[in-house]
Amino acid sequence: MSNVQLSTSAMERLVARRTFPLYRRTTVCRNLFGPVDHEELQTEMKSKLREISERDQQRWNFNFEANAPLDGVYEWEEVSVEKTPVFYQDSVQNGRTIVPETPVKKRPSLDSVLPESPDNMDVLERLAVPESSSTPCPVEVNQENRTDKLNSGKPAHRQCGRQKKTTTTDNNTHITDFFVKRKRSADKKTSEMNACHLSKSPISLEQTPRKRIR
Amino acid sequence: MAHGTSLQYEPVAEIGGGAYGTVYKARDTESGQFVALKSVRVQTDQNGLPISTVREVALLKRLEQFDHPNVVRLMDVCATQRSDQETKVTLVFEHVDQDLKTYLEKAPAAGLSPGRIKDLMRQLMCGLAFLHSNRVMHRDLKPENILVTSQGQVKLADFGLARIYSCHMALTPVVVTLWYRPPEVLLQSSYATPVDIWSTGCIFAEMFRRKPLFCGESEVDQLGKILQVIGLPPEDEWPTDVTLSRKHFPSLLPRPITDFVPEINEQGAQLLLKMLTFDPLKRISAMNALEHAYFQDEETLT
Repeated sequence: MSNVQLSTSAMERLVARRTFPLYRRTTVCRNLFGPVDHEELQTEMKSKLREISERDQQRWNFNFEANAPLDGVYEWEEVSVEKTPVFYQDSVQNGRTIVPETPVKKRPSLDSVLPESPDNMDVLERLAVPESSSTPCPVEVNQENRTDKLNSGKPAHRQCGRQKKTTTTDNNTHITDFFVKRKRSADKKTSEMNACHLSKSPISLEQTPRKRIR
Repeated sequence: MAHGTSLQYEPVAEIGGGAYGTVYKARDTESGQFVALKSVRVQTDQNGLPISTVREVALLKRLEQFDHPNVVRLMDVCATQRSDQETKVTLVFEHVDQDLKTYLEKAPAAGLSPGRIKDLMRQLMCGLAFLHSNRVMHRDLKPENILVTSQGQVKLADFGLARIYSCHMALTPVVVTLWYRPPEVLLQSSYATPVDIWSTGCIFAEMFRRKPLFCGESEVDQLGKILQVIGLPPEDEWPTDVTLSRKHFPSLLPRPITDFVPEINEQGAQLLLKMLTFDPLKRISAMNALEHAYFQDEETLT
């Protein structure tokens, strides 16, 4: 029972901290590197991504974006699927028709575009990370997709994409929206992270790495 | 590496994303090696690619460093953002001309020799043992994603990708074969690496039979067909967390496996039974299978 009490009080502290991040945490948080220029970051990320794409394109002399071969060491040809193992066929026709639960993405409002850019752009960066799974996702370990009964006819979109639903449900995200929500879902790591990115206050910026350590 | 001056290439029209019916394949004019592209379209949200996809790709890349002979080479992963909602991930694989399905179809009328089967099986098991020891399970092993090179080298393909595109597969009308699925998957119970052993068992039998062992039309039908061969397991082996009850099936006795796979030798039959064991916990592991007597005595390869 004492355990429970302890964790509840810990929870309360957490919630309190989230609810009043500015008041409760000013003395502890330090803004070590100054405010982040999100616009600049976004531009940098974009150019980095372009750089990577160009490198890929050069390496394979193939324009992956246009899906067209280019001149170079690799002699490309288009072969019909009957002449090649099924494995090489593109596995997805088009996901567009699907999406119902993979949050039918709202165009992020200006508010959210900038702060979210770090996560948005780092596709390749993330790929480059040797193994980011130091924080194991409980669903991933071998037993994932149990609900994914491929033949049962039940669409299993729960497994698709993000496991955690985006906290943002409307276009005009205000930081305060998050505070209210986060009170309810204190356990959702994603929402915490989102909130961190969303917050323009330098204080919460410091939280991001700390959360990741877990 | 690929900055050479222009050599000859096939000019082709842009097939546009999603066009299927064709596969891009290329020959490295320096090494003579063939590669092929496989694109996977991944839905993205404001956080970019789903973390599961990223993790999976990272894992594939890490496995690649081992350069295992029985696993298809993944040469590169190229991501292009198509829109806010979608990223195209193109995987550059080594190209192998045929898969086990075609290989079996093309086999001479007399079928594969026992030695050939043993060799294929050993390679398959090596690949599996490698994946499993890296905590990767295939989950959808079938003749179509086992590649066989012209030199008879077996290469496992398509593992780990499940997590990348399973959501799409589930939602597209593509019929996913049930024939290689183990009971625990059919029952939607928890599962792990033994699933691949079951599938390999089915494939083992198919190498002799040259037709699939269990051809079910639905999950229940598939399970019924399986139980007709291996018999109804004791009550305590039936998973407890499932909706489909054991009572649903008639109490059948196991039938001799040689009724279904007559050409198999005794040790082969023993191993096959250990692979087609109902209880995943009692099923043989890839590692132990490689130690099995079946693989110990050599037959001449033909």
